[in-house]
Amino acid sequence: MSSESSKKRKPKVIRSDGAPAEGKRTRSDTEQEGKCYSEEAEVDLRDPGRDYELYKYTCQELQRLMAEIQDLKSRGGKDAAVEIEDRRIQSCVHFMTLKKLNRLAHIRLKKGRDQTHEAKQKVDAYHLQLQNLLYEVMHLQKEITKCLEFKSKHEEIDLVSLEEFYKEAPPDISKAEVTMGDPHQQTLARLDWELEQRKRLAEKYRECLSNKEKILKEIEVKKEYLSSLQPRLNSIMQASLPVQEYLFMPFDQAHKQYETARHLPPPLYVLFVQATAYGQACAHRKSSQPPRQDKMLSVAIEGSVDEAKALFKPPEDSQDDESDSDAEEEQTTKRRRPTLGVQLDDKRKEMLKRHPLSVLLDLKCKDDSVLHLTFYYLMNLNIMTVKAKVTTATELITPISAGDLLSPDSVLSCLYPGDHGKKTPNPANQYQFDKVGILTLRDYVLDLGHPYLWVQKLGGLHFPKEQPQHTVITDHSLSASHMETTMKLLKTRVQSRLALHKQFASLEHGIVPVTSDCHYLFPAKVVSRLVKWVTIAHEDYTELHFTKDIVEAGLAGDTNLYYMALVERGTAKLQAAVVLNPGYSSIPPIFQLCLNWKGEKTNNNDDNIRAMESEVNVCFKELCGPRPGHQLLTNQLQRLCVLLDVYLETESHDDSVEGPKEFPQEKMCLRLFRGPSRMKPFKYNHPQGFFSHR
Amino acid sequence: MEVFQALQRLHMTIFSQSVSPCGKFLAAGNNYGQIAIFSLSAALSSEAKEESKKPMVTFQAHDGPVYSMVSTDRHLLSAGDGEVKAWLWAEILKKGCKELWRRQPPYRTSLEVPEINALLLVPKENLLILAGGDCQLHAMDLETGTFMWALRGHTDYIHCLALRERSPEVLSGGEDGAVRLWDLRTAKEVQTIEVYKHEECSRPHNGRWIGCLATDSDWMVCGGGPALTLWHLRSSTPTTIFPMRAPQKHVTFYQDLILSAGQGRCVNQWQLSGELKAQVPGSSPGLLSLSLNQQPAAPECKVLTAAGNSCRVDVFTNLGYRAFSLSF
Repeated sequence: MSSESSKKRKPKVIRSDGAPAEGKRTRSDTEQEGKCYSEEAEVDLRDPGRDYELYKYTCQELQRLMAEIQDLKSRGGKDAAVEIEDRRIQSCVHFMTLKKLNRLAHIRLKKGRDQTHEAKQKVDAYHLQLQNLLYEVMHLQKEITKCLEFKSKHEEIDLVSLEEFYKEAPPDISKAEVTMGDPHQQTLARLDWELEQRKRLAEKYRECLSNKEKILKEIEVKKEYLSSLQPRLNSIMQASLPVQEYLFMPFDQAHKQYETARHLPPPLYVLFVQATAYGQACAHRKSSQPPRQDKMLSVAIEGSVDEAKALFKPPEDSQDDESDSDAEEEQTTKRRRPTLGVQLDDKRKEMLKRHPLSVLLDLKCKDDSVLHLTFYYLMNLNIMTVKAKVTTATELITPISAGDLLSPDSVLSCLYPGDHGKKTPNPANQYQFDKVGILTLRDYVLDLGHPYLWVQKLGGLHFPKEQPQHTVITDHSLSASHMETTMKLLKTRVQSRLALHKQFASLEHGIVPVTSDCHYLFPAKVVSRLVKWVTIAHEDYTELHFTKDIVEAGLAGDTNLYYMALVERGTAKLQAAVVLNPGYSSIPPIFQLCLNWKGEKTNNNDDNIRAMESEVNVCFKELCGPRPGHQLLTNQLQRLCVLLDVYLETESHDDSVEGPKEFPQEKMCLRLFRGPSRMKPFKYNHPQGFFSHR
Repeated sequence: MEVFQALQRLHMTIFSQSVSPCGKFLAAGNNYGQIAIFSLSAALSSEAKEESKKPMVTFQAHDGPVYSMVSTDRHLLSAGDGEVKAWLWAEILKKGCKELWRRQPPYRTSLEVPEINALLLVPKENLLILAGGDCQLHAMDLETGTFMWALRGHTDYIHCLALRERSPEVLSGGEDGAVRLWDLRTAKEVQTIEVYKHEECSRPHNGRWIGCLATDSDWMVCGGGPALTLWHLRSSTPTTIFPMRAPQKHVTFYQDLILSAGQGRCVNQWQLSGELKAQVPGSSPGLLSLSLNQQPAAPECKVLTAAGNSCRVDVFTNLGYRAFSLSF
């Protein structure tokens, strides 16, 4: 225990010896000079090898002593304790030696470390110095290269070439004698010259700028002057209007029309141009004087020009509109979804939209009745439609049967054969219709007008029948050739319809109005009378038993008008079913007869009824009357009465029946029967006044 | 224009037919004076199309209706209003065919040209007999073209003629209701049968006119206003009365049947005993002429054709039904 405590004490001493050793040493040196026990100095004196030997020896001794102690302790005995003590003291001494040696070793180690440390530090310092110097060398080298590479700004300027310089520069700048030899001076001189030149050019530039400003100002002044002129001209034009009217030269009016015409879509424009040209040509033909106000054909444009302009907005605006409207649409769809039907309806309306402008044509006929035609253009479908209206000079009292004659829906039907105007003439429209669920245009014609083929031709639209056409070419030549024929047909149509109108009024009262120039066609005395004249519907006509042939032959379509006439004489009643083709009077009305007298006779069972029909239907050319042929229907009816007279009077008397003939023969006939079918004499000969066979 | 043509066709009546000597063609004459030539062989062949049922050629033959036509072995003779014209069968199919000759029998009246309702060929004597509106029978020599004699006797115009081969006699039936027999050699009337006076067959409400005649030497069948009756010529008695209400316009003997047609759609086939064997409907509301193609040269074209109050000629390949119709 005491050895342990001495061991503990000794390391303390050694440790505190370490670091503050120098401090202590110095203090201790100053305090106890010569008294301190400096182990550092001792270390320097002792030889490490010998110390090592000493260490080894001491260890051996310790081992020996321990062994001896061991022996003594195992042997036991009283002497042993003294021996053991002795040996213990010796081992303690050895221990102390060991400790000293340990201390010495530590001190040596420390010294060695210190020395190494110092040396290392020195080396580091040198190393650093070396690096610094190297770095500086490098830096200086870089600087040198930089300086060597330096380019002066003056070398970037394109100087004029040497020869030019010497030629142009004035001598006080070029200083040839000096500069020739010295490149530095030469360059300086050149730079001087450059500067001179640039100064001069800058001057010139400033002068030109100021010139330009002046001229611009002058232009402004003149422009203002001109623009102030425009309103004055306008006021002059206004003032001249009364003069124009006075002289019947409505240039201004025509000019305005041409202005609006510019906004018409191409087909309507073609129509407008052709119609105006034709109207003027007609007026010229009629009178040799300059064109007057009351032309036979007048053209006008109706509708809103602004809307027409609105159709052609520039793309950016419309794009903005689209995005806005899209946003709006999204909102509304979130709030309330429109039904599919409503959406489809809107799409349909969009497809059938009309151009806001329309062309109005007024055709004046000789008897002062006017046919008003309004032409529209359907933009998406690329077709033109027309609405018609007839106005007469005097108010017409419409007889019941004439209801359909002048109705806007049917007055222009079949102007050209087969052109019923209920189907769209553009084959491409069918595909468009399929998308929005429109079956046919027929449902919309009342609203939109009729798309007759002649209307398309007037607008120069040509639709080939085979394939759908993607681009529509509006052709002036097509329109021009059709204009005259169509106008003539329109006039004849209106006039024939009006004539029929008048005739129907009379027919309904039971009088067949035969004009004086047609009297020669009929004998003076006609006993059979027209008793009834009514319209019948198409379905009723096809249901009649005696009209089957006409229906089978395809002559009774739904574009025709149907009438029933009843002619009576005595007990005989003759029913006549009449098919009136819209193309009256170039296409004759067709009569089918049924006679109720002593049984029912029709063309199926009586050859003579067939002959009567033939007289009226096939031999109609004689009954046409004077030129426009509007008397055809009334002449046919009158002839029918005459035929009935002949038929009844020439009927052979039945010997078996008693009593006189119901109808005594008053007509003069050469022969009563002829030919294998025993025909009656239906042909009337004028002026002799007798009846014969054909 | 289309409407006008359609109307014409609706009001067309075909009065007469005639078969060509080769048997392959049929000529039909209508009330507008046109004659159309149909090719029976083309229409009957197995590759017949719609165009084969149309005429090969149609031309304007007369100014008035063509009431009667007959064929000799080279010519087609047609007659209508007052004239007889002859056409060469060999040339008839070419465009712009012109008549070979035309003849007009000497008429008494000049006010109105009477029509020729019936033509009859007497091959042995090479005669053509015409009868019609002037109540006379004219005989024309086919070689010289002269009119030899005229037989008078009828009081009203003549509808039809028939030839009794054995003793060459001509029978004529007319509007006056009498059937007269004339001897060709003596040019005199031999027998008269006034049909309307016989109670069994007369039908006063129809009139007394005789529209059709056919004879088989001893027997004669006639009809029209009175009922269709079979007569025994020697005794001038009606033996069978055929129960047909509608007046008949054409009658002919065929094998052991009597074929008749008239008002009403059907071609009637009668047994000699008076029974109706068959009634085959045609396409026209009334029939005016029947023609049997019995030319030996074309047995495949052996058909019955019927025409009347329409623009169609019905073709019966088998007497039992209508096969198809040719049309103007």
